[in-house]
Amino acid sequence: MQARAHGIWVILLSFFIAYLLAIVPFPEWAMIYRPEWVPMVLIYWAMALPYRVGIGFAWVVGLLLDVLEGSILGLNAMSLVILAYVTISLHQRMRMFSTLQQSGLVLALVGLNLMLCNWLQIVTAQSVPSNLMFLMAALSSAVIWPSLFQLLRQVRRGFNVH
Amino acid sequence: MFADNRFGYLEHIRFGLGYATTPVYWIADIPTRVSFWIDDVFVSRSDLLEENDRLREEVLVAQRELQLLESLTRENSQLRDLDVATQVIGGEALPADIINISPDPYSKRVLINKGANDGVYVGQALLDAKGLMGQVDEVLPYTSWILLITDSHHVIPVEVNRNGERALARGSRANANELDLEFVTQTQDMQAGDLLVSSGMGQIYPKNYPVAEIISVFADPGQDFATVKAKPLAQLVRTRHAMLVSADTEATAPTAEKAAPDAVIEDSVETQPLPEPITETQLELLTTDQVSKIETESTPQ
Repeated sequence: MQARAHGIWVILLSFFIAYLLAIVPFPEWAMIYRPEWVPMVLIYWAMALPYRVGIGFAWVVGLLLDVLEGSILGLNAMSLVILAYVTISLHQRMRMFSTLQQSGLVLALVGLNLMLCNWLQIVTAQSVPSNLMFLMAALSSAVIWPSLFQLLRQVRRGFNVH
Repeated sequence: MFADNRFGYLEHIRFGLGYATTPVYWIADIPTRVSFWIDDVFVSRSDLLEENDRLREEVLVAQRELQLLESLTRENSQLRDLDVATQVIGGEALPADIINISPDPYSKRVLINKGANDGVYVGQALLDAKGLMGQVDEVLPYTSWILLITDSHHVIPVEVNRNGERALARGSRANANELDLEFVTQTQDMQAGDLLVSSGMGQIYPKNYPVAEIISVFADPGQDFATVKAKPLAQLVRTRHAMLVSADTEATAPTAEKAAPDAVIEDSVETQPLPEPITETQLELLTTDQVSKIETESTPQ
């Protein structure tokens, strides 16, 4: 085994790009279809390197996302921690899945994440959506997932991240 | 974690983390800046000349209006016998660019490129060339979040420009870019097409800035209040250029925060050589007053 933290900068860079994609302004009508980039990248790394990207990592990622989005501090941190926990407990099974099955699981996980965020927003009396259209983001995430998975896998192998 | 956020001692942590997130905004804004730069660079000379002419004309018109406004304000202040009423357009304006909008499609917030290091404070009002946009909600080191007037958690006190009827305009819950006027009784005189200006009653927004235009009034006899919808005048989703203004200090109680701008304004008023000729209208008022007084005095005898 080489140095313990080999290629950590690749992980950080991938999250940085995910942050960028998460806040780039969209036209108004397209906002609800924006894929949840940060949770998806987190799912990938938690699945591929569960000993590297764990619950603490997810918490920091979520905290930064909170500041970035201007949402209440701890909202994304909490939901991403739960997302990371579920992913890590499922990672053995998830690696065996076909692409389509993985997409389905991502749909469920991101949907769960969105609903958790929505619920926390209601609890803390933030602006909340009036219908269930906010779940469209989970659908678009599931559609994007296969290509994102391939891309991140190539990156991981290319830079020998472990 | 969440309870902490309710009491404000996490504000400092959030503020500190703001330093870490600033580069992300900066990079995310690059495409927009590049497109603006391309617009600026690849523009023909004739277009520039044309635009220059147009802007010059606009400046002339605006200056003329400003002169009129100044004389009107002076006259008004003398009529009302107020020394400091000349500050209607006073206060400092800080130009700001809108660099991002909230990723959450259900909260109407935008990010501007001015923050604590530029002297922005919570509660400052943001406006564009057409009207009021919103107020500063959260200040980060180099950026700040603006809560737009169309957010459903935002209420702005307004009055109808035509007759001074007051109302509260809340961001619409249903439609993205509309305002609902709350608690308007059925007998209040409001019509479609009326201009709503800020009434300055919440002591956050400066007075008399245009806010919205009423687009529909519906009075259902079965309900307590009329349903009045209004459309904001500011280009909330299209504009990039805006400015931050401090609240009108005329009506506000002097707080520690606003003491500094207050002093600046008063200084500028004092140093300005204010000529005090009695205007003709005032003369007329005086004379008519005196005449009527004389008349009333003389009649009983």
